Amino acid sequence: MSNLDLSKISLRPFKLSDVDDFLLWAGDDQVTQNLRWKTCGSREEALAFIRDVCIPHPWRRSICLDDRSIGFVSVYPWSGDDRCKADIGYAVAADYWGQGIATKAVKMAVPQVFNDLSHLVRLQAFTSPENKASQRVVEKAGFLKEGLLRKYIYFEENIKDSVVFSFLSTDEFPHDD
Amino acid sequence: MERDREESVDLAQISLRPLQLSDVDDLMVWTTDEKVPKFCTWEPYSSKDQGIDFIQNKACEFLWSRAICLNDSAIGFISMTSSSVTDKSRGKSVELGYVLGSKYWSKGIMTYVVKQVKKVAFREFPHLERLEALVDAENVGSQRVLEKAGFHREGVLRKYLFFKGKSRDMVIFSVLSTDLNHQD
Repeated sequence: MSNLDLSKISLRPFKLSDVDDFLLWAGDDQVTQNLRWKTCGSREEALAFIRDVCIPHPWRRSICLDDRSIGFVSVYPWSGDDRCKADIGYAVAADYWGQGIATKAVKMAVPQVFNDLSHLVRLQAFTSPENKASQRVVEKAGFLKEGLLRKYIYFEENIKDSVVFSFLSTDEFPHDD
Repeated sequence: MERDREESVDLAQISLRPLQLSDVDDLMVWTTDEKVPKFCTWEPYSSKDQGIDFIQNKACEFLWSRAICLNDSAIGFISMTSSSVTDKSRGKSVELGYVLGSKYWSKGIMTYVVKQVKKVAFREFPHLERLEALVDAENVGSQRVLEKAGFHREGVLRKYLFFKGKSRDMVIFSVLSTDLNHQD
């Protein structure tokens, strides 16, 4: 099924020079539809987004294939008393779907995130109930499905259910396979 | 030897009204009781100043709140907080919180109050879609209140909160505006 050698997948911070590769997937509605991202409409928008959002972000990494950006993994920690938890998000360019890349990237990210965010106890993921592929990513990465939160998210005038998953600092880190 | 007879409460004597400064002595009864905030983020109060501060400065910060009264004396407090305070994408959701003096536990009072407030919430806030509550996984009594009041138990959020030096698993409950059409 998959001919892609997953050892060519790496995570690293975004660079401005990623802009053209970035636009290929961040400019694609298919990719951004389940995110809170506005689809990038131009090279200038993509550049500004990398510079103003991706680079200063508390924890965002480019998913790279042979060091070229094909997606992202993001972890956003809560603040104050809630810094024990953080939300994880991810996306991969549509051309690369179905090859285990997002799963590989999330598996790589999890130990790094717990290492980098010292107060983190709980990493949580919220997925759309219809997005089975996204749920499989976190399940295969060792997240535990905790439940269906009804009408949990209100975004762009749509109220949606959310399936919540978590990975704890005390859970066993995922193995590479 | 006399046996204590547990007093039952006529629920018709239970009412809700805004908390007032004159409630401070009654408020101090439940806020100084160690049993009461066991599963809350706050520690028992040690001075009346804290009670006054709560009534004057904190109670008004909630989206909505009421004193729970027995014959017009405050025996507890119930409040709603907008979920968009912590997350802008949660503007149609409100979180319920409540506390009751321990002398009044296990008499059906809290269940009765939550059932009323559930209806009030969707009436007062017509755009509200979801009323939720988070309860410590060890707080079985409070979970029973929500179940009996018609909330759906959606799952356990592992180590969701951290307070009083410990990570807490929280059970999340919800009731939707659409659930109410099928209930009492």
